[in-house]
Parts: sequence; structure tokens; C-alpha cells
Amino acid sequence: MFRFLAQTLINGINIGALYGLAALGLSLIFGVMRILNVAHGEFLMIGGFIGFWLFHLYGVDPFMGLPMVGFFLFIMGIAFYKLIFSRLTRFHEEVKLKNSLLIAFGLYLIFPQIAMLLWTPDERAISPKYSGEAIDLFGLRFGYVPFWGLCVAVVTFLALYLFLNKTYFGKSLRGTAESWKAAKLSGINIERTFMITFGVGISIAGIAGVLIGMVQELTPIMGMPWTLKALIVVVLAGMGSIIGAFIAGLILGIVEAVSAIFMGPYTIAVGLFIFLIILMLRPQGLFGKT
Amino acid sequence: MTDQEAVMLVVNHIDVYRGGLKALWDISISLSKGEIIALVGANGTGKSTFLETIAGLLAPSTGMIHFEGIQINGEPSHRIVDLGICLVPEDRGIFPGMNVLENLELGAFNRRGRAEKEETLCFVYGLFPILKDRRKQLAKTLSGGEQQMLAIGKGLLSKPKLLMLDEPSLGLAPLIVKNIFEAICQINQTGVSVLLVEQNVRIALKVAKRAYVIENGRIVTHEEAKNLLTDKRVRQAYLGIHSF
Repeated sequence: MFRFLAQTLINGINIGALYGLAALGLSLIFGVMRILNVAHGEFLMIGGFIGFWLFHLYGVDPFMGLPMVGFFLFIMGIAFYKLIFSRLTRFHEEVKLKNSLLIAFGLYLIFPQIAMLLWTPDERAISPKYSGEAIDLFGLRFGYVPFWGLCVAVVTFLALYLFLNKTYFGKSLRGTAESWKAAKLSGINIERTFMITFGVGISIAGIAGVLIGMVQELTPIMGMPWTLKALIVVVLAGMGSIIGAFIAGLILGIVEAVSAIFMGPYTIAVGLFIFLIILMLRPQGLFGKT
Repeated sequence: MTDQEAVMLVVNHIDVYRGGLKALWDISISLSKGEIIALVGANGTGKSTFLETIAGLLAPSTGMIHFEGIQINGEPSHRIVDLGICLVPEDRGIFPGMNVLENLELGAFNRRGRAEKEETLCFVYGLFPILKDRRKQLAKTLSGGEQQMLAIGKGLLSKPKLLMLDEPSLGLAPLIVKNIFEAICQINQTGVSVLLVEQNVRIALKVAKRAYVIENGRIVTHEEAKNLLTDKRVRQAYLGIHSF
């Protein structure tokens, strides 16, 4: 019984780390730029497919290819910001937010179509030779791929945390998240900050996409379900906490996994139910600031 | 005779719209290097709008603003900080979720500020010792007076040539106001020019050399500060002194 519970916990943490990673980029973008990137899952999907291409066309090990995917999606994020979202700068905040939502929604409509052209609607998976392997310790199964996926997710989270809290530029991002006006008056170049924030957020989404592609299938329409998952995690964490998003993802993963024991196929409903309860009792989210 | 007083800031007949409504009509002011000048007026007369326009948060619809010969109207705010103008806004412009030291350090984001960060930090701690004591404390836990000191200190970290202060006395006890205005004079003595906007006309006129009076978005008077203190209209309207 204990072994079963422990295994469930391990599975929950593994998937939770991916939830957290998917949410981290979304939380960063929303926290700093107040853009709700409803196309976040689409970039995640693209990242996953690029990892797939690197592996299948060029034999690049997916974990080794992560820096490439991360870099490519960073550039993609910057390009999308500069070409599209930055055009909204001259508008009022309200118009800006509404329009950015619409634009992101438009990307949500377009990306799956492009992905279908590039990769066909078939399901793909990134399956290197070691995919099914696992280490057995204390009678518990530690899957090779999920374990390293968890490591990558944790390292990415720590890297972002250090960036935001220990570097000067990272602190300017946090300042911008608190007050655009104060940031501008401090001499911070807000447009450049937004551009880099978007790039980083999208880059993290891309990394998540590759990791997901190694444990689940990649399809051109996987974007929206992951956007919704990320959104739930971000709201669960609380809008103010960029870092809390990762922790909340882990929590959600564990809750879903554990509830599978009792609820069978309704695990997702349980997750949402817990989410509702927490929001009722603590509307600012688990880590949100009132 | 008077020394060569270089004119530093020239605002030339600007109109400013805010949220679709006209806020400022045909405003012209000038400030010379090393001066403290004041812009006084009641609530809602356009004082903050004026400072925000110089700081680059807003752009005038007509007219021009020149700083040290360079045209700055329409420039982005970070560029204006680079050039040497720093605005401490009415809501203080500090980052509540970060501690005092982080706030001060972020004030030095521009190139010139960064180069002299340590020096300026020493100076600010000397000016406001309480900031040094509370340097690891979150800004939102500071008292009103301390937050104002932090706001001014943060502004100084950008190494401004011109420091603009929007109602530094707002909501503060008279003793704290006195301290802050003493600090402002000290800052001015190090060569920083000051453009002060205040509802507290009395104290503004005490530290400033010249003052402009603004009413309903228009400049109505421009005088030596000491003359305004004795001006009957000003005394009546702003100092609540009625002569019989």
C-alpha cells in the first residue's frame, strides 16, 4: 500500500513538474506584461515539434537539444513581441489588454494549422532509445525520461528564480511587474523589458513542450489543453507570484495523481474541484498577494 | 554681478491632453542650472500632468521642451532619465514588494547612475540615515515619511541634473516635511536643480527661488518666491490669510 502511494506520488511529481513548467512562462508574461497569452500552449506545442524534428531528422538527443529549442523559441518570442504585440504600446492599458488577448487568440487559431502543414495531424512522440527504461529503487519505479524531465524542470525553475531575484536585470523585471510607471521613471526601458520577458516566457514553454513530447504524444491541437492547464495552475498559484506557479503545478500534479486512486478516470475533475475550493477559501491564490 | 546662469530646461508653449481631455494650456516655464523653482496650485490644476510630460510619460500635443539644448518632448521616459531628469511622482514610484536597498539600486538603472552607484548610495544614506537602517526591509512596510525619503533617494541614484518632485509633502507630518525639505535644500547645494510641485504653498515658496502659479491648467503668475509670499491674492487663495 505504501509502495503504491509512493509510486503515485512520484508519478504526480513528474507530471506536476511539467504542469509547473508550462505555467511558469505564462505566469512570467502575465506578471510583467499583463498579457494573458492564450496562445501559450501553441508555443509549447511548437517547441515540442521542433524537439521532435531535431531528434528524428538530425538524431539530436532531445535533452541535448533543449538549449537549441530554448534558444530558438526565445528568438521566436522576441520576434512575435516586436512584430505584433509591441504595436499595442501606444494604446491605453485597457485597449492594450483586450487587443493582446485577441491577438493571442488569433495565434491560437493559426498555429495548429501551420503545425498540421508542417507535421501532419498525426500524433508524434519523441522516443529515444532509453524511453521505456527505468531505475528500480526500493521497489519503486523511477522512469528515466520522467526523472530527467523533472530535473530539467527544477533546474529551469531555479534558473528563473535566481535570474529574477539575484540579477540586476531580473530585479528590473520584478519592478516592472509591480509598477510600469515606477519602472519607467527609474530609467528602465520598458519596451525592451517586455520583449525579453516575452522571449523568456516563450522559451520556457518550448522547453516544456519537448519534455511533454517525451512522455505524451505531440499533436498540432495539443496547444489549447495545455494553455488551459497552465492557466489553471497560474490562477491557483495566485496572479502575483511568478515562482509560485511552479510549486502550484507540482501540487496540482500530485493531487491529480493521488485522486486517481479514488476517483479513477475523473482525476481532472478532482483537480478542478480542488482549484475551485481553494479559490473560494483563498481568492488570491495559494501564493498570491492580497 | 550675477554669474552666468545657464538655462537648463525650457518648456515652450505646450498643450497637453490627458485621456482625451485637455489638461494644460500654453504652458511655458524655464529653469536655470542650480535653481530651485516651484509650481504651486490647488488640486487637479495640472501640476502632475506637467511633470509627467517633462518626464516623458506623456507627450505635448503642441509646443516643445528642451533640456540642455536637446529636444525632449516625445522622447521615451528612459531616455529622459538618461539625459538627467528624474521625476519622483506623487505616488512615490517605489516598488513596494522589494526592499529598500533593491529599490535604491533600481533607481540607478541608467548608465550614469550605475557608474556612480556606490558613491550615490553613501550620499543618500548620509542624507536619510533611516534608509540605511531599514535597507533590508520591504518598501511597503515603511512609514509614509520613510517611503518619501526612499522615493527621493531612489531618484538621486539616477544621478539627475534636474530632480522633479511631485508633492513631496503630501500626507506627511509637519516635522517630517521639514526634514525632507531640508534634505531637498542639501541636494540642491550639491548642484542638482530642483523643480518642485506642491499644494503646500508656504513651504514651497520658502525653499524655491522663483515660483509659477497654475490654475485650471494655465500659468497665471510667475514671480520671485519671496514676492509671492507677500502677494495678496496668493496669500488669500493659498495661504488662507485674509487681510482686512
